Amino acid sequence: MVLVRLGRAPYGPVLELQRRLHSLRRERKTPDFLLSLEHEPVITLGRVGRNEDLLLSQDELRRMGVEIYTVERGGAATYHGPGQLVLYPILDLRGLGLGVREYVRQLEEVMIRTGKALAVELFRRPGYPGAWHRKGKVGFIGVYVRGWVTFHGLALNVDLRPNGFAWIVPCGAPGLPVVSLAELSPDGCTLAEVEGLAHSAFSAVFGVELVEISPREVWAWLNRIG
Amino acid sequence: MDLIVPDLGEVEEVTLLRWLKGEGEEVEVGEAVAEVEADKAVFVIESPAAGILRSRRPEGSRVRPGEAIAQVLPG
Repeated sequence: MVLVRLGRAPYGPVLELQRRLHSLRRERKTPDFLLSLEHEPVITLGRVGRNEDLLLSQDELRRMGVEIYTVERGGAATYHGPGQLVLYPILDLRGLGLGVREYVRQLEEVMIRTGKALAVELFRRPGYPGAWHRKGKVGFIGVYVRGWVTFHGLALNVDLRPNGFAWIVPCGAPGLPVVSLAELSPDGCTLAEVEGLAHSAFSAVFGVELVEISPREVWAWLNRIG
Repeated sequence: MDLIVPDLGEVEEVTLLRWLKGEGEEVEVGEAVAEVEADKAVFVIESPAAGILRSRRPEGSRVRPGEAIAQVLPG
């Protein structure tokens, strides 16, 4: 599986990259990819997201520099921004012999193991996919699958500044407490540290080897295949 | 031909989220016709045949893998 670390990136171009890689993966022209990044502030509405899930007007949010997207993934409203690790696996579930539910469970497991490495106890809540701590939700999942190839993925709060979840009704659940790993871990943690731990956890949970290439190499290669 | 919700692996029931093609509309083999959701995953159902889409189940229905959500009739 090819790992690409994109650093801090705006939502639109990464969505476009995901859609491109997803379509190429379905045509079997690429291997599986794992995109790893943090986003500039953005609110996305999944398939069951509603405008009422925004607690500020779209104008106000845009003035604050927050972008808003309606996207195809499962779930309702969520926030991405600096201090949150986002992983977008573009992978063929059949290649790994995974069903959709098992896939979601494995994404949860990646976050639970990452928490464990930081001495933060995270767990699943049946019927509420994600990674939970007793103080609130830490990790979020929203997935889209076509032709058994996935995109979108998971988001894990590391040290959110600002905590943009205050501007929305997260996951369609009013009052849902949202917390970050840095406030839960006895020694604190940084995004770079969590990113490394999450990649190791991903590799172990999915049983895949991650081979990193640079974003520049990805773009060059996409340009070559037209 | 029935448009079937495939076996998604350990999923007992899904929500028929939305139709991407209308009742009576022509569809191609492999064309995306519907989206179902389970556990925050949206799964796209593609048409198994070319034809006309009929007898669509309403959006919001709870359906089980193996169940038909519409028919694709020869056009």
